[in-house]
Amino acid sequence: MIHLLEAAAASSPDQEAVVTSESSATYGELLDGSRRVATALRRRGITRFAVVEPDAGLVLRLLAGAALAGAEPCQYQPDTDGTEFVDHASVLDHKFVVTRRDDLSGAFDFIHPDELTAESGDNTVVPEDDSAQPLLIRTTGTTGQPKAARHDWRVLGKTVANVRPKPDHRWLLAYGPQQFAGIQVLLHVVASRATLVAPFPRQPKNGLEALLTQRVNCVSATPTFWRFLLAEARSRKTTFPPLEQITLGGEASPADLLEEIRAIFGDAKVSQVYASTEFGSITSVSDCKPGIAVDSLYSESNPASNVRVDDGELWVRAGAGMLGYVGESSRAESAGASEPVGSAGGEWRRTGDLVEIVGDRVMFRGRKSEVINVGGVKVHPLPVEDRITGLESVAMARVFGRPSKLTGAIVAVEIVPVGGIAGAHIEGIRSEVKAAVADLPRAWHPRSVTFVDTIETRGGKTIRGMQD
Amino acid sequence: MGTDQEKAQAVISEFLQRIEKGVGGWTDETGLWGEGLGLDSLEAAELSAMLEDEFGSDPFSAGGELPETVGNVIAFYATVST
Repeated sequence: MIHLLEAAAASSPDQEAVVTSESSATYGELLDGSRRVATALRRRGITRFAVVEPDAGLVLRLLAGAALAGAEPCQYQPDTDGTEFVDHASVLDHKFVVTRRDDLSGAFDFIHPDELTAESGDNTVVPEDDSAQPLLIRTTGTTGQPKAARHDWRVLGKTVANVRPKPDHRWLLAYGPQQFAGIQVLLHVVASRATLVAPFPRQPKNGLEALLTQRVNCVSATPTFWRFLLAEARSRKTTFPPLEQITLGGEASPADLLEEIRAIFGDAKVSQVYASTEFGSITSVSDCKPGIAVDSLYSESNPASNVRVDDGELWVRAGAGMLGYVGESSRAESAGASEPVGSAGGEWRRTGDLVEIVGDRVMFRGRKSEVINVGGVKVHPLPVEDRITGLESVAMARVFGRPSKLTGAIVAVEIVPVGGIAGAHIEGIRSEVKAAVADLPRAWHPRSVTFVDTIETRGGKTIRGMQD
Repeated sequence: MGTDQEKAQAVISEFLQRIEKGVGGWTDETGLWGEGLGLDSLEAAELSAMLEDEFGSDPFSAGGELPETVGNVIAFYATVST
């Protein structure tokens, strides 16, 4: 990160690097702030710290400054609950917390970001070429102990090694910078010397506003984010400006959504990225079709591929994956190297993503953890959801499992009608849903259909699996 | 809108319309299974969910023996509400 920022600042010091709801900064200003942060971290002897900060401009300074000082930052969601923060930060053994929030408490040393960025300028903090530039990324899991994946900027930076300068690109930050996908956007923007447009909150309506007012021409977001954004735009009868690049990731992209995006943004390059916090960025497709091409899978004739299918599950080998989880010693460390999990020796790992080969495509069927067991029949929510969201009367839908004493679970669906509940022909939509799933096995038919104003998301993704 | 038993009757009526069963008419004595309405487990689970959404509880999930007739389902709400 720091080397990319130094390169961008050297070639384009006055280029606008980041625009947030609070401020903007050039690459020169970002680098200056990062050096101040690095100096302050070194002076205070801070080698790892938590960050609870919504402003992407400050986050960039903190991340790059930490990389320069060799310190390990770990971001928390800016609006994280105070009690949850104490629990998680304690488990992850964070002593220093950089934040502007004054409602957080606990046995931590709280540092206002201004204390770091106001440090007197010092350009003498220079990382050695082979010294670690650690980064901790918390995973979005919802149960169990807090988990965090240990990464290194030197490994992550390899994914943008071939990115060329695109100073006219203005990328919307739709992910939180605490998410792996958000980190990827930050890296890509700095590597391409583009401009990051980062409103906060990062809700789809804020993203739409940025599209319309901030000359955004590139967007990386989840399919769920896009569904909300397009629904918001429909309700406002918005005419979109043209986009140059659209990247979808974090979830499978349904065919109807890809078609809608293609219809609205006909000239945009549309990419779907397969990546995860643990494995890093694995593969991408840009043919605007759902799933990935079968001929991109690993085979004797395609030995360089990092993706294969085994027993209905996607397996990958990482290119820029994590070094390990917090609390685990990595193979890399024990081997005295800094290589990501799964890279050495081409080690294959399960992803937990269930897939099915349909013709020449590998189609995603959902997460293993999302499978609904209906009376012994395993139901994958995504194919059901795809059929329902494909209906013209449906703006959004989420399919999940609902406990049942009789069958263990039933398939349930929440539907946001186009134009909202008021005025929607509810019984008509019920009939359409019934017809749309008629050819699926009976256990796959939604037995609980409810109509809602919005659907719940986590980390920009639709929540599926069993719900209480 | 009426008593819980009347509401339960309305839910059952709506459910039967959705699954297109009981079109020849039904009474409190009509059986839920077999020669009666002929519900299978998935349909019964759907009715269970509809009743739970309406009342917060339902006779299929309450433990004990499953209801056998439409009247058993309706009677559950008489018991609950008194």
